[in-house]
Amino acid sequence: MTTTRHDRTDVLIIGAGASGATAAKVLTERGLRVVALEKGPWRTKETFSGDELASINRYDLWPDPLLNPRTHRTGADQPATEQLFCPVPQMVGGGTVHWQGWLPRFTEDDFRFHSVVGGVPGASLADWPITYAELEPYYTAVEWAFGVSGQAGANAFESFRSKGYPCPPMPMSRYAEKYHAGASALGWNSFPTPQAALSQPFDGRPATVLSAFAQQHGDPTGTRSSALNVFVPHAVATGRYDLRPDSYVREITVDERGRARGAVYEDAQGTLHEQRADVVVLACGAVETARLMLLSTSARHPHGLANDNDLVGRNVTFHEFSSAVATFDDPVYAWAGGGYVSASSFQFYAHDDDRGFAGGGHMASSGVGIPLPINWTMPDRPAWGAEAKRIDRELFNHSMAASMVVHDLPQHDNRVDLDDTVVDDWGLPVARITLTPHENDLAMGRFLIDRSAEIMEAAGATSVQRVYPERVTGNCSHQHGTTRMGDDPATSVLDRDCRAHTVDNLFVVDGGSFPTGTGANPTLTIMANAWRVADRIADGRDARTTS
Amino acid sequence: MTDDTFFDPHQRATIAAAMARMIPTDDVPGAAEAGTIDFLDRYLSGPGYVYAAPDGDGFETLTGRRLEAWTRRIAVVRERYVAGVELLDAAARRRGADFVDLGPEAQDQVLREVERPEGREEEADLARSQVTLYGAPVEVALQQTSAEVDLGFLPLLALHTRQGFYADPVYGGNRDHVGWQVIGFPGPASLAEVHQGLYTTIDYFADNRVHPGTED
Ligand SMILES: Cc1cc2nc3c(=O)[nH]c(=O)nc-3n(C[C@H](O)[C@H](O)[C@H](O)COP(=O)(O)OP(=O)(O)OC[C@H]3O[C@@H](n4cnc5c(N)ncnc54)[C@H](O)[C@@H]3O)c2cc1C
Repeated sequence: MTTTRHDRTDVLIIGAGASGATAAKVLTERGLRVVALEKGPWRTKETFSGDELASINRYDLWPDPLLNPRTHRTGADQPATEQLFCPVPQMVGGGTVHWQGWLPRFTEDDFRFHSVVGGVPGASLADWPITYAELEPYYTAVEWAFGVSGQAGANAFESFRSKGYPCPPMPMSRYAEKYHAGASALGWNSFPTPQAALSQPFDGRPATVLSAFAQQHGDPTGTRSSALNVFVPHAVATGRYDLRPDSYVREITVDERGRARGAVYEDAQGTLHEQRADVVVLACGAVETARLMLLSTSARHPHGLANDNDLVGRNVTFHEFSSAVATFDDPVYAWAGGGYVSASSFQFYAHDDDRGFAGGGHMASSGVGIPLPINWTMPDRPAWGAEAKRIDRELFNHSMAASMVVHDLPQHDNRVDLDDTVVDDWGLPVARITLTPHENDLAMGRFLIDRSAEIMEAAGATSVQRVYPERVTGNCSHQHGTTRMGDDPATSVLDRDCRAHTVDNLFVVDGGSFPTGTGANPTLTIMANAWRVADRIADGRDARTTS
Repeated sequence: MTDDTFFDPHQRATIAAAMARMIPTDDVPGAAEAGTIDFLDRYLSGPGYVYAAPDGDGFETLTGRRLEAWTRRIAVVRERYVAGVELLDAAARRRGADFVDLGPEAQDQVLREVERPEGREEEADLARSQVTLYGAPVEVALQQTSAEVDLGFLPLLALHTRQGFYADPVYGGNRDHVGWQVIGFPGPASLAEVHQGLYTTIDYFADNRVHPGTED
């Protein structure tokens, strides 16, 4: 039986991760009452630790695949197999709970990628309906709320910015130093990777201690910035934020006219409730938002919510993170600071017709895989035995990765839909990911790995191994495109304000709205855009109450 | 024996011997000295040792869905080990002794045979590629993409040996931090040190820590 909560609210936000918490902060600060439903727990920093086994191997923060499976296949004619494809923590704070938090901005051309590169056969490219200039103030707002550490002007290929970074760059790691040395020997620009961690005290929080346990670990010190420790407290402070953890939304409900009425969710005791709202905001991450929309069928939306065009879930992109792996005679300690206190380059980010493929990507240094002992790894290392041990001993402190983010192109048939056999522990069909890489993705990957290898060689590496991305694995937990925004309702799900074309009180604020995935880590842009959309929602409300 | 163990004495001796081949002892300690068998035996004893408390003081009591998932996972892994010991002994007896009684060379041969059973190479490769990083072949490090229950006996053994060697000593292995010393990882003295924000790696950063252009 479903109980209805009659405390109808102004805005209901599904998901309290990066985008949902941003929207909650903005909406509550602008005077709206917000109820937020979050599938996972609301954890405090006291529950986090420097425990590699728990954090990385035992799903203390990652979703447990026994409870939350996904399936993956390479084409509609292939069988789908269970795989934790593109996992992101399911808890208050979402993917920002255990990230390292690289926060580069996108560039002006990213928003008009189709126009810049022209059409690419097989790809469903589209320009964004918004421009960099429209988003720029929101980039600044997020950077200053988070206390991002970076160096304005150091990235020669960055688009204009109205304000510098609030904190200076992170201290230089040895692996970043190698990267800078290699890049400058080649005459290429590199810069300290902007990062969601405090290089100095900021907004009442102390500076980071540079623990080895960062990427994929929760932060017990509160010095790494996240939705959990910045935006959620901001929203809570307004007194208008009713955040309900352990509340799994099973369906968005609609009224007779097909508008969003609210959501049915299951609490920790297994009891179902319906929460009603004037406006419903989806912020579950691009994969789960699409899944929830497809699960929400009704007479007015027989194929899923706002899915009349069969576009929900399509054009999904995931990026791919791969590396040239280098070893050095002198130690690089690629686990220090969590292994990702890094140097970046946008030298090959902008499109260049001469390269023979469209677009480019963010390149940066990092640890070797997961740079702590248990999960530390070298390509082709044997699994066990004397040789495996020898490699561990010789290379643990002497190897690093020069990595890159592939700007994979959207394709109509790459999609998220509902699996027809596998259900999660709550009994709902899981997200099935159908994905074939575009030849452009693979060509770009090879090119960027080759450039990364050159940087390592120029830095004096004794050996370099190129690990070309032969497929897109979802290994960097970036997801976009399932509900793309656009001005034409025939080719997009959302309008320029990320409102569903066919459901006028339904908004999506996660990366689902991205028409193209770009070649850079997405979350700064996801949060900036969520801030913008929340502003539009609040503007609409103000307009109604004053007219 | 206390309740915090799973193996019977023969199983325990067999797996301990196999682990000693996974990370052998040479001029520096290996799995045997790190006590990886204690780590594993306690893990398999039930869901009481899955998550250490964040400050290292005791273990979390699991409830609800997490408890169900770990109970299920440990049951599957136990079966794999019980069957694995039988496989090792069966292969060893073709050489005239139980696995524990073979020399190191012969033990390695048996392990390789079990890892790549005749006619089932593809299956073994699949199990291993599921724990691959970078899409590179044959890696054993468990990433977030494996459910552990989808690993065969040998990949599990390699994984658990690695975990017992390198995980924080609170889990019963990595005795006296020997695993970390072997590779030169200056980990924290205890989980509490990280939890309290006292553990730093700043000494392992560059000598010149300031980026050009940001000097005062
Ligand atoms: C280890 C790691 C490192 C990363 N590093 C970086 C980085 O350096 N830079 C960068 O830009 N990005 C990084 N990312 C990616 C980043 O975390 C994501 O891009 C970001 O979290 C996406 O934000 P989101 O709001 O769309 O979704 P999320 O943050 O995933 O939040 C979605 C939330 O919705 C909840 N939810 C889902 N379904 C439901 C439902 N049905 N009912 C209720 N709640 C639901 C989930 O539990 C989750 O908490 C990293 C990710 C990981 C995992």
